[in-house]
Amino acid sequence: MATSGEILEALADYTVQCNENKRLRKMQRDWTKLIHFNAEETGEQFTMNVVKGEILSCEPGAKGTPDVIVTAKSEDLCDMFWGDLNPSQKYLQGEIRVKASQEDIVRIDAITMIIWPD
Amino acid sequence: MAELKKVIKLRTVISASTGMAIATSCYVAGIQVATILVGELAWISILVAGFFCLLSAMCFSELTALYPTAAGIKLFIQQAFNEKTSIVIGMFYVLLGISMVGAESYLLSSVLSSVFSIFNPFYDKIFWTIIFILFIMLINFRGVFISGVAQDIMTYVMVAFMIGVSLYAFATIDINFSLAAKSAKFTFENVMQAAAVGVFLFVGFEWVAPLAEETTDYKTVGKGMLLAVGLLSITYSMFIVAMFSGLTTAQLESGSPIPHIMFGKNLFGAAGLVTFSIMSILASMTSFNTGILNTSRFAYAMGRDNVLPRVFSKLHPLYATPWVAILFLGCFAIAISLVTLVTDMYFFVIIMAAALECFIYVVAALCVIRLRKRKPDMERSYKVPFGIVIPVIVMAVFGLLMLGIFTDITRDYSGKELFNNYWVAVVMGLFLLCMFLYTALIVPIFKKRAAERAQTKVKRRPGKA
Repeated sequence: MATSGEILEALADYTVQCNENKRLRKMQRDWTKLIHFNAEETGEQFTMNVVKGEILSCEPGAKGTPDVIVTAKSEDLCDMFWGDLNPSQKYLQGEIRVKASQEDIVRIDAITMIIWPD
Repeated sequence: MAELKKVIKLRTVISASTGMAIATSCYVAGIQVATILVGELAWISILVAGFFCLLSAMCFSELTALYPTAAGIKLFIQQAFNEKTSIVIGMFYVLLGISMVGAESYLLSSVLSSVFSIFNPFYDKIFWTIIFILFIMLINFRGVFISGVAQDIMTYVMVAFMIGVSLYAFATIDINFSLAAKSAKFTFENVMQAAAVGVFLFVGFEWVAPLAEETTDYKTVGKGMLLAVGLLSITYSMFIVAMFSGLTTAQLESGSPIPHIMFGKNLFGAAGLVTFSIMSILASMTSFNTGILNTSRFAYAMGRDNVLPRVFSKLHPLYATPWVAILFLGCFAIAISLVTLVTDMYFFVIIMAAALECFIYVVAALCVIRLRKRKPDMERSYKVPFGIVIPVIVMAVFGLLMLGIFTDITRDYSGKELFNNYWVAVVMGLFLLCMFLYTALIVPIFKKRAAERAQTKVKRRPGKA
């Protein structure tokens, strides 16, 4: 089970990786979303604010009304943010659940695929 | 827990489910239903088909309540059985489902070539087929989505139009139901055979399942599917009877692929021709666009899951759309359409789609039963009532309807034999075999390569290297 600190550390690294990736920023230039991440076994929540493809903030707690809600085990969230896990596989197995439009689901997956191509 | 900012409402779930099912090919399939039975009584078979689809919708609702995900059918089967079975059946369903585009684009191009003549009828059809598929590919490349409101307007306009025209036809055309009831063709066997083909009219209503991820309450999707099947049953029952009654015997015997256009012309002259053509384009657009949208996402996910070649997971650098998957499916659709154009075998595709739909309904019902045993305590926001009675009925009925399709012979209105339906079973069997061989021989190679890549990859998470 990953702690809140571990997830925040992973989110911080993820933010840097995303914001420094020019290709990703170009692709996501029109993508502005508020995303909630839920760690299902700990009940902890995190909010990510993406404006025009740039991650402006990642903080603990569920802030605002989200466009996307991602729910997974804390370990999977942590591994996903560090790029050690293919979220598509977990999603297809029903272990990562996403409440969003199909377009947003592909976009979220695209982020991890582009910054950590496997 | 917080709810989503944009939430899909019941109205849009119904319109999306209904819009996916209404297509240009439905008019021809409707005439085929009327031909098997008696035209004026086609509504009986349509309502029978609708009722059984309603039961199947209940099964899909329970599965969606369990796993509200765009991965849909693959995930249900994977959880109920195993991954290999889910790959074989998922790909069989999705890829063969795309072949419906062959019939759809053939019929739409027939509509367009009857209105706009450019070269000659054959080349006009090729031209319009390619233009139509390229247009759908382009909007998918660009990531243009038909919004909920637009979907609502398009679908409800189509439904209102079909019901309105039917009522007008009933008021102006003399329809003798009692005489039709005395016909020798009005038998239980024919009612069921026609109902089997009638299943085609509902093809695609279950594709609304991914919308579960955009609703506040998963029950909305289940309720929407049920209401959509009810709406489709009423609309088709009225329209097919009206259309059949509004066509002359010569028109029916001609075996035209555009009976609705002829019907519109008979009823309203040139204005009818134009209006019905526009409705046809709308119907094809909504169903085909959703088809490509869903299947390209499915292919993308399969590419990411190392089931399909990794190239399928490529995304467009500007629009973040799975362009390789869209390109592949578009080319596949064009190839199938051209084969349909050259062979004129659009009925074959329609019959195959009806059988495929029966097959997937059997699989869905089987998944409900298996998951009740495997995951009895898993939370279900919707559960099919009366235990496993309804899933068993769905399995038995659609299994028998599928067998009924395979053992029948497709004929035109004049009774001329078009083809033996067992060829449909042969083609589907061969395709299923290809999927099985692919899963058994090719997928392990992709998975092995992925595992090797994963082993060489250095873990980034501190302390996990």
